[in-house]
Amino acid sequence: MNRFALLSLYRSLTRHKLYAALNVGGLAVGIAVFLVLALYVRFETGFETWLPRHDQVYLVQTEWHIPDSPFNGAFPNTMGGLLDQMREDFPGLVGTRIRGGEKGGSVLRGGGATTEDIAQVDPNFFRVFDLPMLSGRGDTALASPASALISETAARKYFGTSDPIGQTLTIAVDSPQVYRVAGVFRDLPQDTELQFSVLLPLPKTVPNPYWYHWGSTSISTYLRFATAADARSFAQKLPPFIDRRGFKDLGKDAHKTVNLTLLPIARQHLEPQGQQSASRKITVATLGIVGLLTLLIAIINYVNLATARAGLRAREVAIRKVLGADRGALIRQFLGEAVLMVAVAALGGLILAELGLPLVNAAGGLSLTIPYAEIVPALIGLTLLVGIVAGAYPALLLSSFPAASVLASARAPGGGRAGTRMRETLVVVQFGLAIAFMIGTFVLVAQTRHVRNADLGFRRDGLLLVTSLSDSNVTPAQAHAVLAAMRTLPGITAVGIANQMAGGSGTNNADNVPLPGKPGNGPSLRWIEAGQGFFDVYGTKPIAGRLFDDAHGSDDGTKRAKGVAENIVITRKAVATLGFRTPADAVGKTVGGSNPLTIIGVVPDLRFLSPRLPNDPTYYVYKRDLPSDPVASLRVSGDPRAILASVRTLWQQMVPQVPFDGDTADARLGRLYQADDRATRLFAIGAGLAVLIGCVGLWGLASFNTQRRVKEIGIRKTLGASSGDIVRLLIGQFLRPVMIANLLAWPLAFVAMRTWLAGFDDRVALSPLYFGAATLLAVAIAVLTVIGQSRRASRAAPAWAMRHE
Amino acid sequence: MIRLDSVQRRYVSEEVETTALYDVDLAVETGEFVAIMGPSGCGKSTLLNILGTVDRPTGGRYRFGEQELAALAEPALARFRAETLGFVFQSFNLIDELTVEENVALGLAYRGSRAQARRARVAEAMDRVGIAHRSRHYPHQLSGGQQQRAAIARAIVGDPKLILADEPTGNLDTENGAQVMNILAGLNEGGATIVMVTHSPSHADMAKRRIDMLDGRVIASALRAI
Repeated sequence: MNRFALLSLYRSLTRHKLYAALNVGGLAVGIAVFLVLALYVRFETGFETWLPRHDQVYLVQTEWHIPDSPFNGAFPNTMGGLLDQMREDFPGLVGTRIRGGEKGGSVLRGGGATTEDIAQVDPNFFRVFDLPMLSGRGDTALASPASALISETAARKYFGTSDPIGQTLTIAVDSPQVYRVAGVFRDLPQDTELQFSVLLPLPKTVPNPYWYHWGSTSISTYLRFATAADARSFAQKLPPFIDRRGFKDLGKDAHKTVNLTLLPIARQHLEPQGQQSASRKITVATLGIVGLLTLLIAIINYVNLATARAGLRAREVAIRKVLGADRGALIRQFLGEAVLMVAVAALGGLILAELGLPLVNAAGGLSLTIPYAEIVPALIGLTLLVGIVAGAYPALLLSSFPAASVLASARAPGGGRAGTRMRETLVVVQFGLAIAFMIGTFVLVAQTRHVRNADLGFRRDGLLLVTSLSDSNVTPAQAHAVLAAMRTLPGITAVGIANQMAGGSGTNNADNVPLPGKPGNGPSLRWIEAGQGFFDVYGTKPIAGRLFDDAHGSDDGTKRAKGVAENIVITRKAVATLGFRTPADAVGKTVGGSNPLTIIGVVPDLRFLSPRLPNDPTYYVYKRDLPSDPVASLRVSGDPRAILASVRTLWQQMVPQVPFDGDTADARLGRLYQADDRATRLFAIGAGLAVLIGCVGLWGLASFNTQRRVKEIGIRKTLGASSGDIVRLLIGQFLRPVMIANLLAWPLAFVAMRTWLAGFDDRVALSPLYFGAATLLAVAIAVLTVIGQSRRASRAAPAWAMRHE
Repeated sequence: MIRLDSVQRRYVSEEVETTALYDVDLAVETGEFVAIMGPSGCGKSTLLNILGTVDRPTGGRYRFGEQELAALAEPALARFRAETLGFVFQSFNLIDELTVEENVALGLAYRGSRAQARRARVAEAMDRVGIAHRSRHYPHQLSGGQQQRAAIARAIVGDPKLILADEPTGNLDTENGAQVMNILAGLNEGGATIVMVTHSPSHADMAKRRIDMLDGRVIASALRAI
């Protein structure tokens, strides 16, 4: 581009400010959306890449294959003693275990306890996870059983500005113990699945009776291999190893029931667990696609406006040709202009992204920042790419105008019929994507609303959940005492205990229930140990039969003799699973083979888990005393927050050695919906801006086309057309591509939304209303966009219009 | 200098075929001032466009000096235009976004001459046509006559071998038209070769030779009686 081309571009932009604002502004918004969503995708796909040699580290997954089991699939945990057995069978293997992590223990200070992210690890942890140390040495510290490594934040929290090295902390994981701080590691970044602020050595004695029980999953096991080939070859040796070592607990061909697989650590974050759908991957991919498509819409805008305006520049092109510019020079000029415009837009996009990032972070629960050192070169590359892609068609079109005919006629060419068709096609693509985005937004919002308001089988409000009761440091006597005291607190109307609760905190159990007269192990059902008051708190009424009752001594399964049938209450879903036609049919029947279970009642299904997970058929057993690993649910009347505070105070007085962990059901359930809420908000922001860019483009194009047709409008009016006829003509012209766009949008949105909704067990129907509403909205937007200009053009006096060139 | 032998120009669209020029033979010598006249649609502008290499003949030969132009590829023709020709149009065709000075300089820019070297020549060209005082103005800030003078400055700034003028006074009033014609006559006096299309007999009379065209053919060629 020579100086004159630059000058004429600059002056053209400043003279046609609106056009420049539409073109550069639309592209800037598109680039900003793309940039922010690219940052999001980069963050989500970049987990653990901060870790030195992360590509050599693998997570050992336990993969369950039990017919009908709700727990099938791969999980990120293994048996506690797996690494010991692996080391015996595969000498030289490098690996470490991580036990605990998030809220993995508590730090005892001044008579109280603080929950902390505490992990117990093998002494050679640093051979796998080479955490950056701020002081002390990580690789030697963990060899001593009473040494601890803490994060810089934990160091500040517990020791302020004084040097933490050599100081002591009393930490309770299984039981309280004094540790000496041997080193401080840098805080873990946000893009990690590792969650600990305190590292302790794993105790030498086995921490639980299931440590070497195949099928148990209590810790995370990580291995390091020099190459991917080494990892693959090790993975091939695992099935015989499992068969050999797991024979005692799992029987013959153990690997067919429980398999072990290796997952590169960088993939752990997005990998679905168990029967979860790959919703994280889908969300990341969806938002990445939204970013790309928004950029595409913005590029389409540029091409559309640039080619539409090409006609206005035809004379300039002709003059340049006459003055000696060849086609190559003109192509270079227009490509240069496009790259320059995109560069301005990229700068604007970067500014918009920086300004908009706090909003996006708030909406998406993220803490994204722009890494300029990486973004600027990437943006330069993007500028060249988008500039060339967006500028190629206008450049080829403009440079092809024949000078002689342009100069001979007053009419400005705009690419002819082919150009009009091209622009119309681009509008179809643009609005097709915009309408698909609108449908997507409607469905996402409807689904996220649905899960927040859906009937879970119990009332969400006025419900408190206390999980700290399951802490191993709470004695049964303390548990009974604190539960009794809770019942007397004002505002608490019922206290129920079980090993499960709303929000899914607690223990997950499932078992096969053999059916009388039918071969095989029978269907797999979840089971929950319910204690006193459980059904009262959840307001559960029997559909058939009765609930557990202390008046019936046989209901209590605590001290049941072997072979004696245990009374159970089943959920409505379990009725059919167990082969009964109606709830009433099930009552009084005994199932379960050698472990007989007598059904005394049927209750509605309670959805405690994520709406993404199937609400499995379930049965309840009754533990009158205390269920194992109990958690408490409290029904309250009055302000739940205030009552929660009084429960907390009570807990801290009665069980000071264990940190209180409790929340409202609303908050706990809210966490299940959080990820989808965030994704929906990000999607809606991206989609909204994409639609806006589309409108800007349509407005610009409509404005240009109306201007071009002023003379035609004059002629039509002279021939008797009314202003209404003209408005209808112009609007009709723009509605056609918008209507055709539905043909693209509907199937696209249908497939995308069906895939997304398939990730939910509890989901809204994909109603045609969403599609119709999006189409109507698109039409309304298109009409509003072009009506102003159409009306203005229709009012012009015919004589003036016909003189207009 | 210029030699056209049996030059034809036919336009073919999907439905109609139109012939704008039939076997035109024309020779223009260095230093001539030729006026082409004829009714609208007789092929004057087509002939001028072919002379200016912005349109290609569909038949015949076009030689400029020793060079056969019909055989040249587009980039070579672009270079030829930049180095050899100067254009003046009825509707001025200045670039709206550039000042007078920049419009004039644009005539040199495509020759690849440096900014430093351009400045003096641009100033001189503007001076010659009396537009120097408006050098920083944009086309829309000028009268028609001033715009045409700026266009002439752009045409002559590179000392072209040939100036092609397509109805240069068509959009001007009598006084401005006369001024422009005087400038062109003066340029011719100074040695410039000019081919001009015009509808005005009085302006045609200022040329040294007059060519009359009708229906795509040259029907008369006469030297002005001095």
